[in-house]
Amino acid sequence: MNEHSPKPVIEARCLSKWFGEVVALNNLTVSIEPGVTGVLGPNGAGKSTFIKLALGLYAPSRGEIRVLGEPPRNNYRVLSRIGWCPEVDHFYDHISGFEFVYWLCRYWGMSPRAAETAAERACEMVRITDRMDDPVDEYSKGMRQRIKIAQALALSPELIFLDEPMNGLDPRSREEMYALIRELGNRGISVLVSSHILYEIERITDNVVLLIGGALIAQGRVREIRELIDRYPHTIQVLSDQPALLAKRFAGEPGVFAVETKGSAVTIRTLTPDSCYDALNALAAESPDWVRSIECVDNNLQAVFDYLTRKNAL
Amino acid sequence: MSPNNTAEPDILWAQRGAIQPGLLQQFRASVAHAFIIMTRRRRFALAAALTFLPALVPIMESFFGRSVYALMASELFTRLAEKLYIDLLSPLLGLFFATMLIAEDVELRTINYILTRPIRRGIWVLGRFTAFLLAAAPILLVSLAITAVACSVERQGFVLSNFNDLKLFIHYVAVQTIALAVYGAFSLFLGALTKRPIVYGVLLIYGWQRVAAFVPGVVDFLTIQKYIDGLKPVLATQRNLVEIQTALGTFQREVFAVGAVKALVVLLVLISLFLGASALSLRTREFGGDKTAGS
Repeated sequence: MNEHSPKPVIEARCLSKWFGEVVALNNLTVSIEPGVTGVLGPNGAGKSTFIKLALGLYAPSRGEIRVLGEPPRNNYRVLSRIGWCPEVDHFYDHISGFEFVYWLCRYWGMSPRAAETAAERACEMVRITDRMDDPVDEYSKGMRQRIKIAQALALSPELIFLDEPMNGLDPRSREEMYALIRELGNRGISVLVSSHILYEIERITDNVVLLIGGALIAQGRVREIRELIDRYPHTIQVLSDQPALLAKRFAGEPGVFAVETKGSAVTIRTLTPDSCYDALNALAAESPDWVRSIECVDNNLQAVFDYLTRKNAL
Repeated sequence: MSPNNTAEPDILWAQRGAIQPGLLQQFRASVAHAFIIMTRRRRFALAAALTFLPALVPIMESFFGRSVYALMASELFTRLAEKLYIDLLSPLLGLFFATMLIAEDVELRTINYILTRPIRRGIWVLGRFTAFLLAAAPILLVSLAITAVACSVERQGFVLSNFNDLKLFIHYVAVQTIALAVYGAFSLFLGALTKRPIVYGVLLIYGWQRVAAFVPGVVDFLTIQKYIDGLKPVLATQRNLVEIQTALGTFQREVFAVGAVKALVVLLVLISLFLGASALSLRTREFGGDKTAGS
């Protein structure tokens, strides 16, 4: 790094974390600069472990991690400058969305009035104002995801961790999420987004960190990963109320070499995932019956990682 | 692609100046939140109803008539206050509420939100503990007051307008509140450390404490009960001999009494230790993963 390079927001040196005999993160050395960065890797790659180490929820088994220049664990200076949206839904019982954000603002050290204002504005930011007084138990998956993001944004942190924020979202909510993350980046907030789907990261940022088996495989531009990934077939599973029509619609598309239906699920195998995702998103916007959810179910990322691992080993 | 922007982030919707990251503000947040969570539960209404049951004893006794062997009002009140309120209900309320003060956050994994906030762990624990006292102590106080009034109805020897009787009542309120605090701190500690705090709590409070009371020697010094007994208003010399009835006969066991001041100091130290250990466990344990939650 030369002297004009921006200071990294996260720096890990020889970072390892293991749980008993399971190695979740293995000797990871990485430096993440300000801006929006995607942490990409298949399930079990160590993405969430890395984020939890950066949040100070875990102590490193070996090595060190610094966030905004300091070790994060039990460090209140660092914790007052970061926000986190967890992958799994964790909520208090019998609580409304607004109350959830409000109380977490209070724990940030805000006065009741300031917390109220911040919670209202955060709910507005994630477009949930009209339902913010409803119990969280009654929220859809997308709304729960948005309220979790609201609590992370409420104090305008300098760095936000979003752990698989697109999981379970319908296509429209995904688009909104992409836009929101891009907007945060444009406002100068650093965002670390984890995902196991390259396409999602690609919609948000060009900077990626690739993890597999707890190790850093590559760091750089999405484009480079994309070139590798395009050589592998990509599997997309779509839930639809019109599975037969949807299958017919995609059967003749260029790059699509197999379409299968099973119940309301349509599985599309393609060499041109981008055009498929674009077409599916357009269909979802036109008629929600056609596309209820989109999921990347294949192991093509794993194939790329295997390829890179072999290349690194040579 | 979003450009790497190194500029200072905008203050989007909250004024950083409005934040008062003082300990008092964090403490107030912790108290208010825990109080709301606790009082919204059905369990709270159930425990409150249970706490009022002892007040029925003198009322029922008056209603169904009394024999010549009936207890004097002050004796009845003393027995109810000591056996039911201090020895039974105070630990029970601790187990009902305080075990869940941290354990529930661990179970729901909302603890991770707390641990990623710049709130001091000790302050958070102290706030939760205070909320427990604010919720449970008034219930016990009101119930004991009703019992005291009920005891004095149609009986002689206990009237709250009498200075000595009022003093006795206040003494029991104080002992009951200290018992509630120490059992609450102990239960909170169990909740921070174990997955089944209520089971361990019942075993230790109602099991171990009873067993230790019958073991010869100074084993009973390893119980909370010992020091709470030291605070009770009855003279310590009257508690020196404990009669134990068994199938083999009746035995007497000498009890080494603890003075009220020493007992109070020990109990306050225990409260601090339990709360400190709970805060320390939050600092050192890892709650991030599914398998680590509450383990």
